[in-house]
This record gives sequence, C-alpha cells and structure tokens, in this order.
Amino acid sequence: MKRLMVKLERCSGCKRCELACMEEHSAQKNYCLATLGAPEPKTRIFVESINDRPMPVVCRHCNEPLCVSACMAGCMQKDPVTGIVNNMGHEQQCVGCWMCIMACPYGVINPSFDVAQTGKNAFAQALKCDFCPERETPACVVACPNDVLEAEEIKE
Amino acid sequence: MRYVIIGSSAAGAQAAEELCALDKDSKIVVVSQEGYPPYSRCLISRYADGRLLESDLYFKTKDFFKKCGVEENLHTTAAKIDRAAKKLICENAKEIEYDKLLIATGARPRFPKIDGLDLSGVTCFHSLDDAYRVAESVAFVKEAVVVGAGFVGLEAAYALTRLGIKVTVVERCSQILPNQLDIIASKIIQRDLEELGVEVILNESLISINGTESVYDVTTADKAHIKCEFVVIATGITPNKELAEQAGLDTDRGILVDEFLMTSDANIFAAGDCIEIQDVSTGKRTLSATWFNAVLQAKFASHNMAGGRRRYTGAVGIQNAVQFHQIPAISFGKTLIEDESSDGYEVISIHSGNVYKKLVLKEDKICGMIFVGDIAKSGFYAALIRQEVDVSKYRDKLLDQDFSYAYFKDENFGQMDPYKTIPACWGSPVWWLQRAQCMGIGS
Repeated sequence: MKRLMVKLERCSGCKRCELACMEEHSAQKNYCLATLGAPEPKTRIFVESINDRPMPVVCRHCNEPLCVSACMAGCMQKDPVTGIVNNMGHEQQCVGCWMCIMACPYGVINPSFDVAQTGKNAFAQALKCDFCPERETPACVVACPNDVLEAEEIKE
Repeated sequence: MRYVIIGSSAAGAQAAEELCALDKDSKIVVVSQEGYPPYSRCLISRYADGRLLESDLYFKTKDFFKKCGVEENLHTTAAKIDRAAKKLICENAKEIEYDKLLIATGARPRFPKIDGLDLSGVTCFHSLDDAYRVAESVAFVKEAVVVGAGFVGLEAAYALTRLGIKVTVVERCSQILPNQLDIIASKIIQRDLEELGVEVILNESLISINGTESVYDVTTADKAHIKCEFVVIATGITPNKELAEQAGLDTDRGILVDEFLMTSDANIFAAGDCIEIQDVSTGKRTLSATWFNAVLQAKFASHNMAGGRRRYTGAVGIQNAVQFHQIPAISFGKTLIEDESSDGYEVISIHSGNVYKKLVLKEDKICGMIFVGDIAKSGFYAALIRQEVDVSKYRDKLLDQDFSYAYFKDENFGQMDPYKTIPACWGSPVWWLQRAQCMGIGS
C-alpha cells in the first residue's frame, strides 16, 4: 500500500503541490483554465504554517478512518486492496452532508458546492485526497521541487 | 459463536459487517422490523423530493447481508429476550439462540399529545415507509405544516418546499434547531430557509389537527388556524429500550452500557440510538441519536463481542453537520450555555454576514463549536474536543484563518504518522553552511 510521506524539514512552502492538486482534479487539467470554469478548483493537500515554518497537512488514508464511519451515504470507503480512502467511484454517491468534514481530525476534507445550480443536479460534494487514481504517482509528489512528498510503500 | 443482532440500520449493519470480518467461522443472525436492505435514515428526505433514487439510500450494497453470509430475518419484530436460556423470541414465535446479542433497536418518533393524529395526511418522518407516504401524497397537496424545527422537521420542510408545496414550520422554542445551534446561528439558517419560501413560526405549538377523514387545518395555541392538507410530526425521538427493560437490563432514558458497550448482562451489548453515552464535552450522560456515533459504537461493540477489550471513549452527543439550502452548518459538543459567566465557560466567536464561528472553552480545553457558512477544518476542532487537548498555548489564535492541524503535529489522533524525520544534513543548506564555517571554508 502506498501512502504520502512528508519530509517536513525540506519543505520551503512553495505550494506547488496545492496547484498541482487543483489542476489534476479540475476538468480542464489546467490551472488557469480551471479558475475560469465552475466549480472553483480546490486543493486537497494543504500547506499550513506554524512559527513561520511551512507544514504540509496531508490525508493519511487512516487505518480506521473516521470519515468512513461518519458517512451516512456509504460512499466514503476504504479500499481493501490499496487502502485508499475515497468517496468517488462507488455504488453510492456523495450527497454533500458534510459529516466527513466534521469527522476528519486533520481537517483535510473540504466542501464543494455550486450555489448557482439547484435541482437534481445541484453539485455538492466532499473533496478529499484520492491519491490521483489516473496517475502512477500523485500529482503533488511529481510537482514538489524539493522532494518533500513521497509516495512510499508501507505495511499496515 | 452465534451472534444475533437486533436492528439493521447504522449500528446493526455495521456490526454485522465487522463481525463477519472478525470472526469468520461465526454464525450471524440479523433481526429487523423493516423489510429493506440497510438504508440511510438520514437521507430519506432526499428520496422524498427526488434528489436521490431509492437505490442510492442503501449505504451498503443491496445484497449486503447475503454477501457477508448473514442470516437475515426481515419483517421480524423481536418480542422478548430470554436471558437464562440465551434465546431471542420474536413476535412470529421464532426462537433464535445466541451466544452474544447486540441490541441496536434505535429510536422511534415521539408524538405530541394532540387531537387528530389518526387522520390521513398526518405522518412522522422517520423511515423509508414514511418517505414513500410523503412522495405519494404530495401530488395533491398544496400546503403542509411541519411540527418541530429540529433536523428531521427542517429536512422534511426543505424536501416539501422543493416539491413546490407551501410549508409552515411550527416550533415550540424561540429558535430553530434549539438543541444544536445558538440564536445567532439559528437566525442565519432560518433566513436561508425563508429565502426559499419556508415560513417559520416560533414560540408556538399545535393543540389540534382538524379534519373529517383527511386533514383540513391545524389549530395553534394562539387559536390561529393554518390551512393545510398534510402534517409532518417531527417532535423528537425516544429510544427503543423496552426490550432491554423487560429483560431486566439496566435502563434509564436509554439502555445503560459500560465503556465496552456491554449492558448489565455480559452476553448482551447495545449500540446506536437506543443507548445512553458518557459525553466528554459536557461530562454528563446523554442520549445520542447521530449516525456517526451509532457506527462507531457498533464497531467497538462488535470487537468486544468477538472477545476483544476496546474501550469506547471520547463520545460526544451532539455532532451534526447540515446544509438545507445554501449555508452549511456544523455543531459539535457543548454549544449551549445558559449563562456565559457561569461554571467557568468562555466563549469566543466571530460573525460577519453568513459566516459565524463560535468556540466554547472550559479550563483550557475546547468543549463545543458552532461553525456556520465556513465549515472547513471543523473536523480538526472536533478532534480537539474529542481528545480533550489543552489549547491554552494558542488561545488567541483559535479562530485565526491559519489555525490548523499544523499546530498539533505531535497529536496523531491514533493514526499513522506521515511525517518522516530525515538526517539534518538532508534538510537545509544552512546546516552545510554552518559545517563549512566550522571547518574554516570560505573565511
């Protein structure tokens, strides 16, 4: 199973991982174009700061994920093989109840909703790290110039 | 081992899944009053107004019980627990033997004592059957009244409004969501609903529902009449503790369990809306009817049923996330304080427009929060409440935009640590510069 590991001391706080994440998860696959469209692109990895030092906060794809327990639609699931916790691509769909956001102790799940749209197609979805299923290595790892992030094989 | 689970909603289904994984040779029997695969009770309003299909409500797969090898007894009501013979007796006279029993009977809607509850067009809003009833009857309904402005009531009101019905919500208290939100937060949510066309009447209660066969109107305590063809009663729930009570188990308002979720009988466990929990945010024993708690309790209970000893701690009774129309809101822990100066509680809050954030602190710990409008990172605050983390060092930063998990890096909240320590020489060029200076290079 692969997990994102962070070498904290090396991070310079350039936030390229955030940009790469937004880009990867936008329909346009391009940051500039994505900002023009809707919904507004949002990152799923967060470079926070403490005492003037940057600190990336990432989803850990927990062994006992609270977001999965909290999900009332049953769409947040932990893949038994890869161990990736994700709310997309399952039989059930995310309804935007925001319970996972309330449950995640690291604060790395964010709401996304389009207020302009209403009705059946109203877009409301919780966004979280999905480990970039379309890529071999997550976009943030590729984008990091300082080799802070690493997709490392770990044993659970 | 023979495990018997009474109830197939959040707690029951979760326990069945966990027990399957924990104890592969076991026999698991689920007894459920309802006739559906496990479905999400919280989402029935979304089915009623057509936002979701019926199949979307099944939070496990439709053939979930079959896949897990669980024997399911749908449409079966558990009538009696024979603790001496370790048998569960159902209303259809079926007897099921158990080694370990899980009571996950949930709760049922509570009805006010008013006239006219038996008229057609009066319904509660608790099960999939109720949602069917709402979806069927809306075709000829133009006006509806919802009694009670709790979560269930407002979800129902929102769903009915989306179906084009004129909805009036009647609430006894002076604000909506009186158990979860304070007055400022409830005003924001109320305005959000009113924008959509929902009418909210506060400080008012019903005294009767009038009509001959179906509803014609309702009478309020003010003797006002509100014309409507449909009435949804959402005045709270009450735990289904009778089964446990008759079996001689300890009960109070709900079923009493210890920290291993064991009842007063070592072979009987309980989880979900039917039990009382020890709330860390208030320090009191409380009922809790939330999905999240039910699932967590079922996880711990099933581990302990299978012979483990896992302590269920850090429970919080009030934990709700909601978005009716456009404004999301989260309330967690002890959010209501009668008098701010009493008992050493302290409140910090920010409020601008539709964004309102409030934290309640006691003795250097956060014990409650309300976030409205901007709910990002609320889970992090919730974890601080659950784990009773000392926040005195960051007191003036608590509601800053950049206050985040970064401040508590060493708290892993029981999960894997992704932060790798690397040799200092890999870290920064400064390290090399210092070494170089020591060696006299460059001077």
